[in-house]
Amino acid sequence: MKKKNRKNNQINQSSFYFEDYLETNKKSQIIKKKNNFQDRIYLLFFIFFSLILIFSFKIINVSLSKKEISNLSKQNSNFSLLRRDIVDRKGIIISRNINTFHAGINPKLVNDKENFLIKLRLIFPDLPVKEIKQKLSGDKYFRIKTRIDQNEKQKLWSLGEKAIKFEPFQARMYTHGDLFSHIIGQVDYDNYGISGIEKYYDRELKDKKLKNKPLQLTLDSNIQFIVNKELKNAVKIFNATGAAALLMDVTNGDIISLVSLPNFNINQRETITEEKYINKITKGVYELGSIFKTFTVALALENKLVDVDTIIKNIPKKIKCSIYEITDIKDHPRNLTVEEILVRSSNVGSVILAQQIGENIIKDFINITGLIKSPSIELEEVGAPHKLNWNKCKLETISFGHGITTTPLQATTLYASISNGGNLIVPSLIKDREKTVGKRIISIETSKKLTNILRKVVSSEKGTASLADKEGYNIGGKTGTAEGYGKNKHRINSFISIFPSNKPNYTLFVMLENPKINKDLIYNYRGIKTKAPYNTSGWNSVFVAGKIIEKIGPILAINNEEFLNQHVVEKIN
Amino acid sequence: MFKFKFFIVTFIFVSFLIITSVIKNQSRVLEKKIYNLKTQVKLKEKNLSETQLDFYYLTSSSEVEKKFTKNKLQEFEPIKYSKIYFNLTDFTTIKKKLTSLKDLHEEKK
Repeated sequence: MKKKNRKNNQINQSSFYFEDYLETNKKSQIIKKKNNFQDRIYLLFFIFFSLILIFSFKIINVSLSKKEISNLSKQNSNFSLLRRDIVDRKGIIISRNINTFHAGINPKLVNDKENFLIKLRLIFPDLPVKEIKQKLSGDKYFRIKTRIDQNEKQKLWSLGEKAIKFEPFQARMYTHGDLFSHIIGQVDYDNYGISGIEKYYDRELKDKKLKNKPLQLTLDSNIQFIVNKELKNAVKIFNATGAAALLMDVTNGDIISLVSLPNFNINQRETITEEKYINKITKGVYELGSIFKTFTVALALENKLVDVDTIIKNIPKKIKCSIYEITDIKDHPRNLTVEEILVRSSNVGSVILAQQIGENIIKDFINITGLIKSPSIELEEVGAPHKLNWNKCKLETISFGHGITTTPLQATTLYASISNGGNLIVPSLIKDREKTVGKRIISIETSKKLTNILRKVVSSEKGTASLADKEGYNIGGKTGTAEGYGKNKHRINSFISIFPSNKPNYTLFVMLENPKINKDLIYNYRGIKTKAPYNTSGWNSVFVAGKIIEKIGPILAINNEEFLNQHVVEKIN
Repeated sequence: MFKFKFFIVTFIFVSFLIITSVIKNQSRVLEKKIYNLKTQVKLKEKNLSETQLDFYYLTSSSEVEKKFTKNKLQEFEPIKYSKIYFNLTDFTTIKKKLTSLKDLHEEKK
């Protein structure tokens, strides 16, 4: 053993340097091996880490982007309506947007053009075939039909023709057709309001924040329908060229019904330029005649110049004013009370009252009430009454409604203000609005006196509006027969009523344009069967107003006290 | 020591990565479900909107009148005299007072 060890020692210790060299060599080999191993691990780690980084970036990227979802939601966002609904006072829809389509054709993608044309004609027999054939021979994309409904779309779809494209489009639908045409107005193909409420409230109707809140109007669809129907009948009966009616709540100025005939179907977009299609209530400017006598009497009573029963003595048959002569249509007694002047509608009596009132008071009244300014209403279509030139006879003619023009809306508003206790109201079509307390134009006392006189215009034997005396509704009012202002001298027969006159709630204006006497119509005039002797408002506009009130009265829930008093007696037990 | 730390960090990172991807996948499934439900709601809203429009059109006074005329029923018009009461007290007071002239005539007979 010792020998062996020695041998080994000899070998190992052969050389000190050599031994050192060997050791160093071995060490370096071990280190090299170790370094190689570490390099490989680092490389693997680097590769693995890079992969992790790539995946994490991908995951972050995917999680941040919602491309697919947003694309899908875009496809489905077509239902988001571009305009809010318009509803009536009871929430009945008047206008709403619906999704519809335009159908177009890309001629380049049509293989068999003749066959395609035949198929199209089968679906739409009214299509202009020649025109489409010509367009099909070209290369440009064109529309074959706009605003197609679901059925038409389905039929076109079933053709299986890839050349047909459907462009989504939102159309405005009006459930009542022509019933609200003058109020609601229309929108263009890009959903911009071009007339009526649609134009006036264009920005509000497109407000996305208010998307689910409809624009509520003061109008009542059922009452509007009745008024419209009765007016259409009246146009036929009296062969009139047009007619208009306005029903207003006297307490707050809410417009419950506004009809102007002729009207038009707002679902069919047409450019209407004819003057007869204007909104006669807000844009029409007329000399309304005797309707103004109420204002003259109101001013005389308010300024304590006269009382209701003050007798105006020695009223002449005619009054000369400059070169004109002012007369009465009928012969009246020489002495008339103030009440009788209004009940009998005396022109000369009104002139005498106006002369007592004086120009300044009448001027102030016209300024305060804004009678000759454009009316304030939520519509673009408003008229501008003519400026007043205070020449020699102006005071006299204004007293009975001539030489002064205004819109029916303003005249009705003033009647409402006079009958509600004397507060000037602002007419409105919008239900949710800031309601302001108007200026007082006459006292409550004068208001009561006037409503009593207006009731007598209808109820008394000498009154001019007997045909509107409908049992139970206590109708009061004033007639007006005049000519239109301007080149075309139209005949305007109008009647403004207030009801029930014991506690006025509503005022109704009815106007007929160029009515004629209907020789076949038999009236029940105070229990006597008779034909119309004159073409005055008492024989047409009043007749129509009576019919309207009789029908809308129950809907307006007027307590029919007169009926109850007459037909109902108290039980003793 | 270094290796241990390295593996712990890598393990945590990888496990979080896997959890994240699982959660993300689940959330995408949920998003799709929500989207489908939203689509269904929108379709129902669309149908409701169009049905309401149809309803208001078909029940408008002019359409009701047309149907009455078509079926040769009586002329469609509201009741002639107001029998609408503003409140219950109004109704009961009037009803208590009420005796029609017809009843009086019958008593006389």
